[in-house]
This record gives sequence, C-alpha cells and structure tokens, in this order.
Amino acid sequence: MASAAAGSSAAVPFWRAAGMTYITYSNICASLVRSCLKEPHKSEAVNRENVHFVISKWANGKPEKPTIRSDSPEE
Amino acid sequence: MAMAALRREGRRFLLSPISPNPSTAARSAMLSEDLSPLGTRSISTQVVRNRMKSVKNIQKITKAMKMVAASKLRAVQSRTENSRGLWQPFTALLGDTPSVDVKKNVIVTITSDKGLCGGINSTSVKISKSLYKLISGPEKETRYVLLGEKGKVQMVRDSKSSIEMTITELQKNPLNYTQVSVLADDILKNVEYEALRIVFNKFHSVVSFLPTVSTILSPAVAERESESGGKLGDLDSYEIEGGESKAEVLQNLAEFQFSCVMFNAVLENACSELGARMSAMDSSSRNAGEMLDRLTLTYNRTRQASITTELIEIISGASALTG
Repeated sequence: MASAAAGSSAAVPFWRAAGMTYITYSNICASLVRSCLKEPHKSEAVNRENVHFVISKWANGKPEKPTIRSDSPEE
Repeated sequence: MAMAALRREGRRFLLSPISPNPSTAARSAMLSEDLSPLGTRSISTQVVRNRMKSVKNIQKITKAMKMVAASKLRAVQSRTENSRGLWQPFTALLGDTPSVDVKKNVIVTITSDKGLCGGINSTSVKISKSLYKLISGPEKETRYVLLGEKGKVQMVRDSKSSIEMTITELQKNPLNYTQVSVLADDILKNVEYEALRIVFNKFHSVVSFLPTVSTILSPAVAERESESGGKLGDLDSYEIEGGESKAEVLQNLAEFQFSCVMFNAVLENACSELGARMSAMDSSSRNAGEMLDRLTLTYNRTRQASITTELIEIISGASALTG
C-alpha cells in the first residue's frame, strides 16, 4: 500500500508495511485495551465488539456470492 | 332482548311456505353472503363484522410497533448525539467540500434493512441518483456502495451496472464502532476512490430527518486541494510531531475520518429510521381508527335495515293472513 513520500526515506510504520490500514491498527489497539479490563466491565466491553454483516461484491451488474463477516471480537 | 326474540320469531315464520321466486332469491343472494337456508332473506352483517375485526387487529399491531420504535429510539438517540463529537474535529480540520472535482467517486448510500419506515429510504435513493447525475461527466467514474436491503432493491432496478458492493444485515447486533470500522475498512480496501460521498438521513427530531451528504477525500486529493488553498491549505501551518511525513498523517487521518463519519452516519440513519417508523405506524393506527368508525356506522345501518326488513315482512305476512 502506501510508501513514504517520494524521496524522503522516513520509515513506514510496521503496520502500514504489513498491509493494514489505520482503522485495523486502531481496532487491534482497542481490543487490547478492552482485554485489560476487569470483570464486569470486561463482558460489557466485549459486547461492544460484535461484528456481523453480509457483504457481497458486484461485477457487471451481478452480485457474487455474499460473504458473511461474522467475526465477533476480531483478531 | 325483545328485538332478538322478535327476529327469531320472524325467521321461523319465514322458513315456512313463502316460496321464493327467482327475483327474491337473487336479491337475497346478493344481500346475504352467508349460509342461510334457502328462502330466508336476511341482510348479513357478517362481512362488515369480519372487516371490523381485522381492522381492529391491524390497529393494535401498528400501535405496538410504534411503542417498540419509540423505546428503541430513546436508546439510539443518546448514542447518536454522543457520536457527533467524533467527526466534528475532522470537519474543522479538513473541511467538507462537496464541490470537489475528482475522477473517481464512490457514493455510499445508507438505508435500512426493514421496511414500514415511511419514505426515508426512497429519499436517500433519490438523492443518491441525482448526486450520481450531478457528478458524472466524461472520464469520470462513479460507483455505488449500498448498505441495507431496501436501498439495494431500489437501485437494482435501474442502476445495476454501477453497483460496486452491497452490505446487508448490519443491524443484527446493536450498532457499535468496531462493526462499522471493519465495514469501512472493507470498503477502503476494495474500492478505488478519490472522493467518498456518504448519503444518509440526519436525525434532527422525531418528525424531521434531513438527507445529508458527507464528502471525504482520499489523501492524494486532499494533498492536491491543500495546495490550492482554502481550509485544507492551512494544513501546512500545523506542526507534525513524531517523525511522520505529512502524506502519512493525511492518510491515517483520511482513513480514520471515513470510519468516524460512517459510524455517525449509520447511527443517524438508524435514528431516522426509528423515528420514521414511529410516525408511519402512528398515522397507520389513526387511519385504522377512522376506518373502524366508518365501518361501525355501516354496520349499524345494515343491522337496523335488516331488522326493519324483517319487521315489515312479519307484519305484512301477519296482515296477509288475517286480511
């Protein structure tokens, strides 16, 4: 994905080099913080992490097979 | 009651030898659609009574749906108002320029999965289509990303070829930021864009929802715009700490901005959907009530007419016997 601006050799952050977007990076950090909580707050926080939706890409006006992204607390 | 007894009397009387001639048989068939023995003439109230029962049931159901929507709305509304603070700093920093001129546009339309919510989905789709027409041109490419079943159904009818992705079943679990950000991530990874335009219904109050368009620029375009001055031109006056370049910061910011704006948009649309459902169900129960009133009047008229008819027949029969 992105590399540093042309010419400057500022190191790209490791997550960017691994292909993650900033959103993925911040989500991982957030789930790390959530797992540091104690009960009962932990279970409430885990409820806030549920992910479920069905996504389907279209090509030439036809939908392809939909993929269900139902990862609950992700990576 | 006396009336009922008289009616029973009359019916027994009628069952005996009045032979039906074809015209009366036809008339009674028209008037009474229930199963009375051949030869009786009774105007039936059964049809009207059935209608009244079903209308009353519908009224109860719509009232219950309105209550459910109202209680859900209260919960989502506070979350929506809190989420507005997420994107306001971004707009203060990067501005919202719907008039930006780019080659690759992506219109993200947010609609609901369930129906019975009034006209909000149709307005969103209408706005998306007119936005499409507005920003199309030679060498420009515009694609749709549709959230929600209702939007998909309406778009498939005439804009099938411009749909890039559709997403459904978003509201299976209560809405949270993680879900929306994973969704935003999917969109960013799979769709090429220079400007993202999010179309949703902004929630102002229980009876007013305004369709809004939020524009988010890709980092490259933001860089270009910042050179030409304006709000983005002030970006250079900010000091960047931490050894990152401006391009990197812009990229991180753009992605995060998209995620935050999507979160707010999805929440606002959910609020608007609940509010619209409340008012739709409310007007539906009011209509059902009016219909019930009219049916009651018809029922009473029919009932009184049938009693009068029977009385006339009894009396004329009696007078025919004595006279």
